[in-house]
Amino acid sequence: MTQTPPPVLRLINVSRSFGAVKALNNVSLEIRRGEVLGLVGENGAGKSTLLKILAGIEKPDTGKIEMNGVEVKFRGPNDARAAGVGVVHQEQSLFTNLTVAENIEQHAMTGSALSRLGLQDWGRLNREAQKVLDKIGAKLNPNTKVSDLSFIDRQMVEIARAVCIDPGRRSTPLVILDEPTAVLEQQETAVLEREIRKLREFASVIFVSHRLDEILRICDRVVVMRSGSLSSDRPTAGVSKADLFSAMVDGQAEPVIHARQRPAVASKPAVKVTRLSRQGEFHDISFEVHPGQILALVGASKSGRESLARTLFGAETHDGGSIEINGKPVSRWSIRKAVAAGLAFVPAERKVEGIVGGLSSTRNIALTNPGVGAVGPFLRPRTMARVAKDWFSRLDVRPGDVSLPLGQFSGGNQQKVVMAKWLNSDALKVLILDHPLRGLDVGASKTVNAQIRAACKAGVAVILIPDTIEEALEMADDIIVMRDGLRSARHDLHSNRNLAIQDIVADMV
Amino acid sequence: MMNKIQTISSSQPSFGGVIPPGGLTRHRVVAAWHALAPVLVFVSMLLIVGILNPNYLKPLGISIVTASAAPILFVALGQAMVLNIGSIDLSNAAISMVGAILVALWLPGMGVMGIVAVLAVTVAIGILNGLLVAVTQVPSFALTLGTLGLLQTAALVTSDSQTIYISENRELIAALYSTSLLFAPLTFWIGVFVALVYWGLLSLTRLGLGMTAIGKNERAATLSAVPTLPIKVITYAISGLSGGLAGLAIVAQAGSASASGLGSNLLLPGIAAALVGGTSISGGQTNPINVVFGALTVAFVPIAIQAMGFGAEAQSLVYGLFIITVVALTTSRVRGAVIK
Repeated sequence: MTQTPPPVLRLINVSRSFGAVKALNNVSLEIRRGEVLGLVGENGAGKSTLLKILAGIEKPDTGKIEMNGVEVKFRGPNDARAAGVGVVHQEQSLFTNLTVAENIEQHAMTGSALSRLGLQDWGRLNREAQKVLDKIGAKLNPNTKVSDLSFIDRQMVEIARAVCIDPGRRSTPLVILDEPTAVLEQQETAVLEREIRKLREFASVIFVSHRLDEILRICDRVVVMRSGSLSSDRPTAGVSKADLFSAMVDGQAEPVIHARQRPAVASKPAVKVTRLSRQGEFHDISFEVHPGQILALVGASKSGRESLARTLFGAETHDGGSIEINGKPVSRWSIRKAVAAGLAFVPAERKVEGIVGGLSSTRNIALTNPGVGAVGPFLRPRTMARVAKDWFSRLDVRPGDVSLPLGQFSGGNQQKVVMAKWLNSDALKVLILDHPLRGLDVGASKTVNAQIRAACKAGVAVILIPDTIEEALEMADDIIVMRDGLRSARHDLHSNRNLAIQDIVADMV
Repeated sequence: MMNKIQTISSSQPSFGGVIPPGGLTRHRVVAAWHALAPVLVFVSMLLIVGILNPNYLKPLGISIVTASAAPILFVALGQAMVLNIGSIDLSNAAISMVGAILVALWLPGMGVMGIVAVLAVTVAIGILNGLLVAVTQVPSFALTLGTLGLLQTAALVTSDSQTIYISENRELIAALYSTSLLFAPLTFWIGVFVALVYWGLLSLTRLGLGMTAIGKNERAATLSAVPTLPIKVITYAISGLSGGLAGLAIVAQAGSASASGLGSNLLLPGIAAALVGGTSISGGQTNPINVVFGALTVAFVPIAIQAMGFGAEAQSLVYGLFIITVVALTTSRVRGAVIK
């Protein structure tokens, strides 16, 4: 009777097509108890479809799904949840005006804390939530409002929500983490890694990420998807980033870190910041960025670097110090004045701040700098569309229809259009990028980085808030490290070529 | 208690990734339907009524419908522009009432200049609305509900609660109603012209692009250096101007004005016409040309109800059901966003 237990999840020849496109082509996959499975692949490789099928949102055309040895058919997300599949979405889906406990309870289908007469039993609600939080080792007060939590703590609530269903003693829950680290700072990622190790004690985990080193560090096994099929499925031990990368993109090797020449420093800095301060965010920050130079602002969360970038763009106000653009001090700084002076800002929250999702790409590009797409107050629709098409082919935006609402494009393609919107101006002098690669796949990241370098070459000064220190080392000429709103270090990457990540981390924490 | 509220995550999952090709086709079909729905709704209603009672499609029927559609059309066009930036102007019908009364008061003494002065006043009221909305950040629904009250009082005070008959120069404005073109009065055609101008403003100018961007995503618009404050003020000024034109249309038709007379209840028909014309109440979506058909539909419904032989007591009921049905047919759901 000592058979090996059946795998938590088994997909057998699962296929799914959309029109003529085979999003999933005969995918077979197993996940064992307590296993952490990494899932990587470029945008459009079929990851999303696979996850949607597991979450009960899409149904497979053909093939079978078994959980714990029993065939299952999900009619909707509730079925999948009842079977023990919990999903932590890339974009958080918590109700921010409710408490932690309410968010957890609201997701659970059994063990309701509703008393007779339909009244909420608060004591029990909080106790139940505390149990789930203890189980995953999250130190959170169930009575806290979600809006008061930091991003990583919200992620913990999402995880608690995903595992709060107890599918019965025989089976193991399956937790799907869809790019949970895409928006996390470095040390928050460490917390999440600890969390995943804890999860493995009682659950199986599918971990989706664009960051290959993370996958290799966290996962037991890694599956690579390419064009709807599995192109590689092996234990992480002995696999390198380059192996994964070549499995993802069909044989190409990972690009080497870009070697850059120090740009000739112009006499006048494009941006000069002197003792800039904003109450509660950053204090006494000074630096210069010259045309053609890339400055990376590195720091943990609450380092104040995001607020600093927004202040430079006029989206937040400063209460001390001064900003000089092209040698001229600014007064009563605003977004309108900043853009008129040649500044551009790519915000981190793309969907909320970066794009007008309901407008076409053509109109998104024309919104700020229509260029030849307008004469005085009048738009020239045909010229606008031609300008947009131009950018689409230059940045390889897909699908190639400039009249579709931009909100329907994938994140990477949206970001390319955001770049196009700002690059479509001859007057561009300073490009401020807040997490420009957030949530982008390898291909889109390369395109965006190439555009940043091209702008730089054309004499634009760049201020970059990177997702990772690696990104800073790859892109920047200079790095400013911030901690608790103060500048803790500055590194010139041309004179200090052997700067290690650890050196920078030491100044961050 | 197994049935809990569905979470956002389960009803609107998002995994990123590419758009399936099927989705694109569906988008086009939905977009095409949305562009044509208001016209189709109006034409099919016309056909049904025409079959039931052909008299309504004769010149007299057309002139009655277009004449009653004209004031609704002006108010609806202004409302559509405000809805497009994601706000609402509950005071615009009251602006038209004040406008009508001022026309009746000023026309005898000032002639054409009186009309210009009235429009200037209504534009100024709109600018005030816009400034208050943009600067105080009070939700436009609450703020314009307040100005609605102020303007109603202003209408009663300026008219001394009396009906004001135009004693002199009446021909200056009566011609707008009595002159007809293809059986429709000039006031209606002016409305069509204004609709074309607003359409051009929205689709062919940077100002219009900014308006729609604000309606769809104000934060992104702000960070794209769209001048949101002036644009809001201009939009409310347009609503004020449209209200003033509605006032002219009322006086042209009635020859008199009062705080409770013809046109005193234009607010809801105006909103209904904007919505039936495919305007989204959550912002960022309108087509002034379709609002023309929305206004015609809304003006035609009471007539259609009569033609279908419903009794007077059932008219409001049928009107209500009809509006729900038509708005359900014509509302754009392309955004897939929360419907406010």
